Amino acid sequence: MRGNLHTQKTFALVVGAMLLPVSAIRTQTVTPPPAAPLRPYVFPSVEQFQLPNGLKVILVEKHTLPVVEGRLLVDAGAMRESAAKSGLASLTGSLLSEGTGAMDGAAIARAMDAFGAQYFTNAGYSVAAVDVVALKNVFPQALELAAKTVIAPSFPVGEISRVKNRALANYQQAHARTAGLAADAFIRAAFDSSAPFSRPASGTPATITPLTRDDVVNWHRTMYAPSAATLLLVGDLTPAEARSVAQQAYGTWSGTRSAPATIENPIRPSSGTRVILVDRPGSVQSSVIIGQAGFRATDPDYLSMVALNHVFGGGFSNRVNLNLREKHGYTYGANSTLDLRPGSGAFRVSSEVRTNATDSALVEVVNEYKRIVGEPIPMTELHGSVNNLVSGFPSSVQTVQQLAGRIQQLIIWGLPVDFYATYRERLAAVTPEEVRTAATSRLTPNNVIVVVAGDLSKIEAPIRARNLGTVEVWDVNGNKVR
Amino acid sequence: MRLRYFAVSLLSLAAATAGAQSAKSAKSPELRVDFTKETLPNGLTVIYHVDHSTPVAAVLLWYNVGSKMEQPGRTGFAHLFEHMMFQGSKNVEKGQHFGLLEAAGGRAGADINGTTNQDRTNYFEQVPSNQLELALWLESDRMGTLTQTLTKEKLDNQREVVKNERRQGVDNQPYGTWGERTGEMMFPDSHPYHHSVIGSMADLSAASVEDVQNFFKTYYAPNNAVLVVAGDIDVPQAKEMVRKYFGPIPRGPVPPKLASMSLPATVGREQRVVVQDALAPAPAVFVAYRVPSAKDKRAQAVSLLARVIGGGASSRLDESLVRRQQLATNVTGFNFGLADGADMLVFIANGKPGSNPDSLERALLAELAGASSFTQAELDRARAGERFSFVDGLQSTGGFGGRADRLAEGWTFFHNPDYVNTVLGDIDRIKLADLNELARERLVPNNRVILVFVPAKKTASENSATRAN
Repeated sequence: MRGNLHTQKTFALVVGAMLLPVSAIRTQTVTPPPAAPLRPYVFPSVEQFQLPNGLKVILVEKHTLPVVEGRLLVDAGAMRESAAKSGLASLTGSLLSEGTGAMDGAAIARAMDAFGAQYFTNAGYSVAAVDVVALKNVFPQALELAAKTVIAPSFPVGEISRVKNRALANYQQAHARTAGLAADAFIRAAFDSSAPFSRPASGTPATITPLTRDDVVNWHRTMYAPSAATLLLVGDLTPAEARSVAQQAYGTWSGTRSAPATIENPIRPSSGTRVILVDRPGSVQSSVIIGQAGFRATDPDYLSMVALNHVFGGGFSNRVNLNLREKHGYTYGANSTLDLRPGSGAFRVSSEVRTNATDSALVEVVNEYKRIVGEPIPMTELHGSVNNLVSGFPSSVQTVQQLAGRIQQLIIWGLPVDFYATYRERLAAVTPEEVRTAATSRLTPNNVIVVVAGDLSKIEAPIRARNLGTVEVWDVNGNKVR
Repeated sequence: MRLRYFAVSLLSLAAATAGAQSAKSAKSPELRVDFTKETLPNGLTVIYHVDHSTPVAAVLLWYNVGSKMEQPGRTGFAHLFEHMMFQGSKNVEKGQHFGLLEAAGGRAGADINGTTNQDRTNYFEQVPSNQLELALWLESDRMGTLTQTLTKEKLDNQREVVKNERRQGVDNQPYGTWGERTGEMMFPDSHPYHHSVIGSMADLSAASVEDVQNFFKTYYAPNNAVLVVAGDIDVPQAKEMVRKYFGPIPRGPVPPKLASMSLPATVGREQRVVVQDALAPAPAVFVAYRVPSAKDKRAQAVSLLARVIGGGASSRLDESLVRRQQLATNVTGFNFGLADGADMLVFIANGKPGSNPDSLERALLAELAGASSFTQAELDRARAGERFSFVDGLQSTGGFGGRADRLAEGWTFFHNPDYVNTVLGDIDRIKLADLNELARERLVPNNRVILVFVPAKKTASENSATRAN
């Protein structure tokens, strides 16, 4: 591990190296001013402790404003549910806020609003979350009420149908948008049908509709336990205050749970590019996703993939955005994501492109995919991109919510909670050779999944004519239409 | 609750601690954003704000130009122009504004961006504090020399990008046209808020390089802008840099006077349109009222009214439409925060797929009709939510709604950079009677616009039936 002094020097050098070629290739009246010495930044210290009932607590102190966040994460996300009960984790998470003890959902909402607290409960793929953010003076009471909704939810009968109806409506709303249609088709195509991540995290109408209150109660009883949870406390709290509020809110929580199985999330093998089209008549734009499954944060080349992803589609000055937006005007924006999950995640490029340029945009992205694998990334481009991540990191963790989000990712990914203490140094140390190896060994431009949701009456024929791979047309449920 | 990405900027540690101790008393100005202000000889107002808690520096400019300054047939121009500001200037090649800032550690989108609304256009970059000079240089270069490198090719490219932005945000989305429809119905044809910020495709197509140059000459000058330099900065050193880069830019002409923005307190009639929306999976009802603007002394009462009726999870619409009657799956209420003449207060109810839009509309209107006798508990909840939102926004130095943005807002709208330090007090001063009076005066049928979106089977998303009364 390098010391801070060395790190700073590295960063400054990177910037200098980046700027030189820019001024060299053109005659400028004025050149950009040079950087001053980098000022030190230290990621806030992360303290861990455990309550007697087994609940892990993580404290990140941030005293600039009297704001505190308490985010409880329970290993009760959709990845733990069976395919037949898809949507149960999400439904249970949403229902926590709808009753505890003598309080119904409306009473809880009034109490939290009276604190001026931001409060929500939900469950995504990886975890269920009960989150409360409030001014410091009311935070202990708000956290205590939030804890009651986790420890002893009443799941009122009347609320089950109402929240189910909302989940069904949310599904319809998401699938009325091309982006929602494309996202679903991509995960279905990328992962094996046994993989939790092949399914929408909140279920489908077919699986949500039969869910019962018994399902919800059983899920809560078997999955929610202090030993399967972590409480993140972030903000204006001292360690002593953190221990006190955590114990006060969650000290009475009891229950045990057996050790969970490892999530495999197998990918769907394929030999050659698949092009999957989903119809959404009347669309003036198409949502396109191009990518592949199979990436974890615990992979040895994780940081190389972070750098590679940023060159390809991170920020603004990345390859796909400069191509599709700034060169061709096909889109308002294009980017790529390294979407990491337990077991395996996915790397993908996404964009909303105008209907009559859909096929051209696909060709451009596939060509960029081939180029980043086929040619070494020029040094200045790689350095600029890596330095963006390294030097921009402090700005990305200014708020308690941003800090909590970072720590939550580490917990989900299975990385140590002090990961960010040395993140910038390790990222800056990634070599061009390592990035090159990641590109050639991990990305398969001739075997990717291409998904397009849009008006097929206008885009299907032009896309077929491009011969990008095997073309299939799917309905909204992933059934092959032709 | 006001529809703003804007929150505020930097607080000193000591002030924050004091705030923590006394926030419950609800008597505000414990949280202070300290600043110093100067005006350069060319008319540029500069506000400095120091916060060493994170080694970042924020540079932010508000130009006093928005879509309300646009001429008929040239809608969408202020925003299209904003895009052109990222296309390079005399000493900065196309692509290098973002290229240099990103390589220096600025995060595109969150930290480096530009936004346009009806009232103003802003540009900002938050960078590692050792890169402050680069950010100031880039902003000064485009303020001083943008038009020297404008080409039709750049304009054509960004015209396409903006058209895609419109497709993505409006034309390809369920309910996507509600915002521009509401504005068109709420404000008379001749009023500067009548048309939307993104504008019409036809007007965008008609824009010429000469139009862009004229727009620049008219509005983009130091005397029509405020610059905020915030964060981990040394003020004397920052002042030196500002003088070096912005000092030589000549003062521009005085911008033309804005058309009259003033309007009667109420619209004077009810307008209702049913929109057959082929993209919508479920009915949705949008009801908007004309209310006092952000510059009005009742502005905070408007935000609180939005929150009491449709803001938090315990709002009236949540309790009635979502929980009790279960006609809506989601409800919301907010105001736009328009600065001059009048603002729009909007309530939205989303129905279940397959449900009857008439029932949803009737229930929403019935709830709004009864909204003029609030309880103290309702006001207290809304106030707590507003207070939290304000403080929450102050966590960021720059970017969307950080402290730098609040300082610029105060100067542009109120000529008062201390505005940021008066917000909590203004929220605290609103009494129950103020809220009830505002509701009685403005939440009336002849002051509202109703849009009922109905799922349509057809492929086109044109509106069909119109029933104005």
